[in-house]
Amino acid sequence: MEKLSKKIFIIIPAFNEATVISAVLREIKVAGYQNIIVIDDGSDDDTCAKAQQEVGVVALKHFLNRGKGAAAKTGIEAAKMLGAEVVVTIDGDGQHNPADIAKMLELIRQGNDVVLGSRLQNPQGMPLWKIVANHFGNFCTWAIYGLWVTDSQSGFRAYSKKAIKSIETKTDRYEYDSEVIREIHRNKLKFTETPIEVRYTKYSMSKVHKMNLKNGLKTLIKMAISG
Amino acid sequence: MVLGAAIFLLNAWLKFLKGERSQTFFKLIASNLIWLGIGFFSLFPNATHSVSQYLGFGESLNTFIFIGFVLVFAILFKIVNILERTERNISEIVRKEALSQIIK
Repeated sequence: MEKLSKKIFIIIPAFNEATVISAVLREIKVAGYQNIIVIDDGSDDDTCAKAQQEVGVVALKHFLNRGKGAAAKTGIEAAKMLGAEVVVTIDGDGQHNPADIAKMLELIRQGNDVVLGSRLQNPQGMPLWKIVANHFGNFCTWAIYGLWVTDSQSGFRAYSKKAIKSIETKTDRYEYDSEVIREIHRNKLKFTETPIEVRYTKYSMSKVHKMNLKNGLKTLIKMAISG
Repeated sequence: MVLGAAIFLLNAWLKFLKGERSQTFFKLIASNLIWLGIGFFSLFPNATHSVSQYLGFGESLNTFIFIGFVLVFAILFKIVNILERTERNISEIVRKEALSQIIK
């Protein structure tokens, strides 16, 4: 993995995360990853400026909010431009533990094209309604896209060079995570799942723009249309 | 129904005569066809029977309702496609601008 360390990029789509982004970036750096790209998805606060203050971080900004999926896609395109061979996407609100990146990279090294972080394989601390909603999301993803996974909505994922090249998505918002599942199935990519830790803090649970019932229904409709 | 149709029609004409950008000639024609049609069939409901017989369908009003639904769904489908394409184009423009920051 040392050979690849210069080619591993951590992608962080972020929207209004000025409060925590610096801490998230430092935690990732302490975990040993230096190639970090933050995509500020049209935030109203100074998320991008805060990210730019961290040494070595590439901070890009969408001048309009386009959604988590669009931001992740921009980040992956940026990583490709910078010569990435492995890409890891991680949420910008500090819910994910960067310590889990190492085992995802090991699974990529073992020959997997995509590693999906799964909260449901380690649901400690996960609110019950989220567990239920996740199961429902998994069922819908399977019904529409034909592949069963234990956490179709997790944004904590690792992709090999082959996966980065072959995955083509069109959706921009929360439905992006499910569309990636479709692309895994369509391109017959080798994938695996691994349990990840999720930290449900007061901050992350209080965010206005997060997955809830209304956004979940909108996501479902968009998934059905994008098929 | 007739009063409603008249109000919408008058509104469409006023917008067009004022030269408002949102009211194009095509929209005016479409508004005339739709609201005049609704007004006419509201005043002369039996006319639906004649038209329906001419077209070879069975019950008159149901025929028009059916045709109306088909048209509405076709238009909706077209609008959804246009919206999706527009959204994708906007995202592409935003992405290109963001990625150009790397080159700088």
